[in-house]
Amino acid sequence: MLGKLTWSAIPFNEPIPLMTSIVVIAVILAVLIWVTMKGYWTYLFEEWITSVDHKRIGVMYCFLALVMLIRGFADAIMMRGQQAVAYHSGGYLPPDHYDQIFSAHGTIMIFFVAMPFVIGLMNFVVPLQLGVRDVAFPTFNSVSFWLTASGVLLVNLSLFVGEFSRAGWLAYPPLSELKFSPGVGVDYYLWALQISGVGTLLTGVNFVATILKIRAPGMTYMRMPVFCWTALAANLLIVAAFPILTATFAMLLLDRYLGFHFFTADMGGNPMMYVNLIWAWGHPEVYILILPIFGVFSEVISTFSGKPLFGYRSMVAATMTICILSFLVWLHHFFTMGAGADVNGFFGIMSMVIAVPTGVKIFNWLFTMWGGRVRFEAPMKWAIAFMITFVIGGMTGVLLAVPPADFVLHNSLFLVAHFHNVIIGGVLFGAFAGYNYWFPKAFGFKLEQKFGTAAFWFWVVGFYLAFFPLYVVGLQGMTRRLQHYDVAAWRPWLMVAMVGAICILCGIACQVAQLLVSIRDRASLRDRTGDPWDGRTLEWMTASPPPHFNFAAMPDVTGEEAYWGIKQRAIAQAQMSPLPKYAAIEMPRNSLTGFVTAFFAVITGFAMIWHIWWMGAIGIAGAFATFVLFAWRDKVEYELPADELQAIDARRREAREDLVAGREAGIHPVKIEEKEETVGLGLRDPHGGYVGPAPKRIVTGFGFWVFLLSDFIMFSGFYAAYAVLSHATAGGPTPEHLFDLKIVAIETACLLLSSFACGMATIASRARNMLWTQVSYLATGLLGLAFLALEVSEFAKMLGEGAGPDRSAFLSAFFTLVGCHGAHVTVGLLWLGTMMAQFFTKGFKPSIMRRGLCFGLFWHALDIIWVGIFTNVYLLGTSP
Amino acid sequence: MSDHTMHDAAPGEGDVGEHSIGDDVRNYLIGLGLAALLTVASFWVASGTRLLYVPGVPMALAALAIAQMGVHLAFFLHITTGPDNLNNALALAFGALIVGIVIAGSLWIMYHLNSNMMVPGAMMDMPMSAPK
Repeated sequence: MLGKLTWSAIPFNEPIPLMTSIVVIAVILAVLIWVTMKGYWTYLFEEWITSVDHKRIGVMYCFLALVMLIRGFADAIMMRGQQAVAYHSGGYLPPDHYDQIFSAHGTIMIFFVAMPFVIGLMNFVVPLQLGVRDVAFPTFNSVSFWLTASGVLLVNLSLFVGEFSRAGWLAYPPLSELKFSPGVGVDYYLWALQISGVGTLLTGVNFVATILKIRAPGMTYMRMPVFCWTALAANLLIVAAFPILTATFAMLLLDRYLGFHFFTADMGGNPMMYVNLIWAWGHPEVYILILPIFGVFSEVISTFSGKPLFGYRSMVAATMTICILSFLVWLHHFFTMGAGADVNGFFGIMSMVIAVPTGVKIFNWLFTMWGGRVRFEAPMKWAIAFMITFVIGGMTGVLLAVPPADFVLHNSLFLVAHFHNVIIGGVLFGAFAGYNYWFPKAFGFKLEQKFGTAAFWFWVVGFYLAFFPLYVVGLQGMTRRLQHYDVAAWRPWLMVAMVGAICILCGIACQVAQLLVSIRDRASLRDRTGDPWDGRTLEWMTASPPPHFNFAAMPDVTGEEAYWGIKQRAIAQAQMSPLPKYAAIEMPRNSLTGFVTAFFAVITGFAMIWHIWWMGAIGIAGAFATFVLFAWRDKVEYELPADELQAIDARRREAREDLVAGREAGIHPVKIEEKEETVGLGLRDPHGGYVGPAPKRIVTGFGFWVFLLSDFIMFSGFYAAYAVLSHATAGGPTPEHLFDLKIVAIETACLLLSSFACGMATIASRARNMLWTQVSYLATGLLGLAFLALEVSEFAKMLGEGAGPDRSAFLSAFFTLVGCHGAHVTVGLLWLGTMMAQFFTKGFKPSIMRRGLCFGLFWHALDIIWVGIFTNVYLLGTSP
Repeated sequence: MSDHTMHDAAPGEGDVGEHSIGDDVRNYLIGLGLAALLTVASFWVASGTRLLYVPGVPMALAALAIAQMGVHLAFFLHITTGPDNLNNALALAFGALIVGIVIAGSLWIMYHLNSNMMVPGAMMDMPMSAPK
């Protein structure tokens, strides 16, 4: 009934997890009781849980990240404590528990601290900086957040129920295979990351569509703030890299659950293929984290130096160069696996090349500060600490990019010191800079300074004390993940590292105190104008906190640093910019979709982890039902009348009058030269040819197109696995014995005709002809069904002959690649069914037409994937 | 919003409004014909015909497959190189680049690994015993 779940899953006889569980459960209960006593549930439900406002979602992401930072840090200080005492002794953590802690630490810090923090900042800032009201798909944004939260919940659940993975933060096989990790730990890891990975992918699609299609009038590409550019690059990387992770984890899950042989050590499986694929995601991942942080620093350094960013164009070029290059260096994570000098040489050089655009950025920031009036506010302090620390981390990285040096240093604490140097010194410092910088915008009051400064110094000193000793012991030969050791020379260094960890603990305590004190003293820290730092980008134009619609009237962008220009013109003329024309706007309604989807995702994940199959079925059915309901709803927006907007905006303008009159402290009027660029006969378009957000049909179509490309990339993971494993038949049947080209030909014909029928349906729906639309879609569906039936019978025949996916690595790869395409056809048919019903009941409404457009793209794209499959698998497999 | 239809188009839309229904149907028919032709050619190449130089077969199949993917993109998905399709085409190019890097890179790396590590096929097939 409950699968593998029994009372023995609760750690009754392990004091550390048990005590932690009790404390955490007590804290959660206390919070719940407090919320109930205060009667906050309605507020929480209406303003946060169901909110589709990008600002609220961004704040929730950052809050989640800060809470998980404490969890991840608890793991870290336990490991430091263990290594400080485990000289010639077993320490206080048994190996079994220690292994879970270092696996959980890495997993949580990357996936549930760094990622949510960065995504939270992007969520909060990007639409504001672009001068628009929300992201392209607000409800999906909420789904993304709640799926991430589901992953967090599952990972933390492993503390109380069962165990976590002991296989490191990337779960290399064969250790992570069922044979060597029979417990539920690896399953917790895999399901938590698969679920949150879907959320992250949706974020990527959402933000690519937002940045490319939804910007204020006049916000051309080359006028976007650098943070938006770096967010674009990071989200392109999410869309390109996360599908590879999904495919890789899917293969490991198939190995563990259904006896496939992708990465097993027998039957032709190849564990090294996993290492290859996971790093094809893993290296872009570090740039997903650091690129938006580079954007944060660009904004911070420019604002607090009182100067425009030096070398804006080179910054954009460097960002986009890194975006591409980050996909060409992944082998440097496994130089020692044995690919040989040619391959190592190429990837070593590429790894060094990628340091060049990063260096360009460092110089740009230095030159931005040079000659500026630098104000050492909290965000700027973090920025300076970052520049120093990150350069050191970058240089040890270039050292590790030299393959012969890597052979000496790989798997050592030198490596551990390096990546903490760039992740803490880069990503985390940047996240803190962004937190301090945008906090007043989010909540309407600044963070207080005393605890903030103390936290800063504790963190920076603590970081150097904790990690620079690790460079030393790494060079002395200490490998990573040691539970105990016998070398006396390492001990003093590890004691220093422990002191560093305690310093960081003080830093975190100061940050908590800073937040509490700031909330207490919020009246005196209030940001009245909405522009507390003398900012340069559009988010500082609106009130703090911004109204949920961000801008009552969309700002008119006429140059780089949109807000700076407007502000300086207003100060120079000593009057506010003219009253805009207010028009009614449509805002998305709140939606429970995200929360419900996440609920079912948790149910499904938990059920799969514990092999409770009936519960898994309920979870999947519930998720599908939610999706259909979501697709069926009619009222997705509500209207805000113009007079209401005007009333709210009047208050904002009133608060700004001091600022314009130059009476606001900290705002320094700068004389700007009005550059009257007259091109031709003075007919220059001040909007630079960009008239504003694209219509919904284009945004939806483009977003879906980007999603489809990510699907192609997921397939490329399966293709690559098939291509590598297609000869690993383990003495079993070979392609020539198995494949029947006649059936493949009929299948292909079905799909082609089905695609044609789908095209006819598109034409008929555009001509508003219901009969032909339905008939054509019906033909599409029937031909798709015929394809599916043929495929199922082909699979059944192979299974009957004993040529199932558990027979060899080749067959595992075959069933996965072809089966995944079949699963897509199945999803397409379900989608087609609900869509035909919608066309029938609702007619040719624009929202239904948009769905038709997306379905057409999906269905035609399946053909393209099939062309790859029949060529690569069937024809190449059977040709002479 | 009419400006957008001049500069920007959703993927899969083609040129809205400029064609009659007959033109649209003909467009899909041409696509279907070309795709069918290329499919038949692929199957013929793979059938072991003696008219072809055998070591060239994989290359020919790859060329035919890429051509057919192009036909699908042009005639069914209506991706063009026009200015209104810039975002769509660039996104596709980026996706194709990543797909190429993942597949070609993996094959290159794993080929070198296998030849360097000299994993004997027979040894890989042996069932391994679980650790004690």
